[in-house]
Amino acid sequence: MNGYAVTILTQIAIQAIVVCGLNVIVGYAGQISLGHAAFFGIGAYSAALLSTQGGLSFWAALPLVLAICAACGLLLGLPSLRLKHDFLAITTIGINFVVQAVFLYVPFFGGALGISGIPRVQLFGAALKGTRYLYLCLACLALVVGVSWLFTRVFAGLACFALREDEPAAASMGISPVRFKLLAFMLGTMFAGLGGSLYAHQMRFVSADDFSFPLSVSFLAMLVLGGMGSLAGPLVGALILGALPEVFRPLANFRILFYALILLLMIRFQPGGIFGEASLVRRRLLPRFLGGRS
Amino acid sequence: MSGPLLEVRDLAIQFGGLRAVDGVSFVLEQGEILGLLGPNGAGKTVTFNLISGVYKPSSGEIRFAGRRIDGLAPHAIAALGLGRTFQIVKPFTSLTVLENVLVARGVDRYGRAASLWTPWRSRRERDAAMALLERVGLADLAGRKAGLLPLGNLRRLEIARALAVGHKLLLLDESFSGLRHEEIARLEALVRDIRAQGLTVLLIEHNMRVAMGLSDRIVVMEYGRKLAEGSPEAIQQDERVIEAYLGRKGEPHAS
Repeated sequence: MNGYAVTILTQIAIQAIVVCGLNVIVGYAGQISLGHAAFFGIGAYSAALLSTQGGLSFWAALPLVLAICAACGLLLGLPSLRLKHDFLAITTIGINFVVQAVFLYVPFFGGALGISGIPRVQLFGAALKGTRYLYLCLACLALVVGVSWLFTRVFAGLACFALREDEPAAASMGISPVRFKLLAFMLGTMFAGLGGSLYAHQMRFVSADDFSFPLSVSFLAMLVLGGMGSLAGPLVGALILGALPEVFRPLANFRILFYALILLLMIRFQPGGIFGEASLVRRRLLPRFLGGRS
Repeated sequence: MSGPLLEVRDLAIQFGGLRAVDGVSFVLEQGEILGLLGPNGAGKTVTFNLISGVYKPSSGEIRFAGRRIDGLAPHAIAALGLGRTFQIVKPFTSLTVLENVLVARGVDRYGRAASLWTPWRSRRERDAAMALLERVGLADLAGRKAGLLPLGNLRRLEIARALAVGHKLLLLDESFSGLRHEEIARLEALVRDIRAQGLTVLLIEHNMRVAMGLSDRIVVMEYGRKLAEGSPEAIQQDERVIEAYLGRKGEPHAS
């Protein structure tokens, strides 16, 4: 594989990790979020600061990064307790802008210059780069998918599904909306934090522009395209929307048009996403591969 | 534990200028079926929502199994063993019928950090949920998405979920409305069966035949107040109740 393909695939793997986090919040718990790039950014900045200023390795910093992201998820998830649907969407957009502004205007975060000189990840004394770093990202992605799968199989996950479907009914069955929404927010932002940390150590430079609102939209588009609430959805969405810009590079000027076309076609014909409920892939393709099991 | 299972005293709630429930008191003894009746807008469903914690009362007291529950959140009240159905059914539409009941089966786990992380797809959970579906006659639809069921089946699903939650008290909000005769007969048998198991039932019902046939005692509400209380026979004879439902003799019907 050439270096270019490895870089693109690494980015796709990182984005898939972040979209898995968004899937927990939007797909499982039904809380719309248009500010997920903020948490991706919080993860990236935490990792960048801990490794450059704090002198910690990627591994030593990771638990701290996850804790910081979980705490921020908890704090910024609080608005979701009182807001629903469009109002929550707008509030999360606001969160995105506020977090980005903090990165940009607070000198501690490096201002417009961002943070540079982030070291590579070391493993067994060797710096991970190229294909090896891709493997690390894929391993993290596998971990995140595994945790997501586990989450859908335990009562905590089932409680989130119930909240997504009908909050009053869920509450009448002992499910505290506050507790489980915050749980979903925390888990989702931790995944975003992991992705952010990997991103910081891949680019070795972060700046506020990397975590802007359009990126949040693109995360959500990946999730919707792949299939909200499904396990493979975030992967497929990240792969398609991550690879498309490269595939359509000759059509650079029409790229956005193609995006729009794909999204419109999806919404019209496969509203559940590629891997969503009752999608073509699920009904026709999967049974063929799995021998009619699914 | 002694005393009544549920005790409602001077319960009132005000929405703006409207006192939807205005000083209602009644008790529900262990193992009893109490029917809550009244014309539309009398405050029956609001009373249900007060008991189950959806609304907080403006004043008054609710005691359940010996402790005060007014002001508690719905999920906390559910965890005490109070299950309810909704007048306007609220299925988890994209989950299967079985998964709907499994959600309700988790009622004891959602409040405890450790038991949250136990799997719900175990054989034991499945069997227990299937047994509940069996009881309400939905076992053969267990794998169907709840959103695809017709109203009659959804009402039964609501009861199955409420049964999984309410090991002490069941609130049934018009669970019989919109059903065919044979469905009503089956549900009546189910409610009697539930009571025979020692559960207590509070039901709102518009179908007089069903309400009179099932209830041990009846409370009639009108304009947010308690109008009458007594055995089904006494209620049927009660002048005030007849007047509330049919209007006064010789007076033109207000419309």
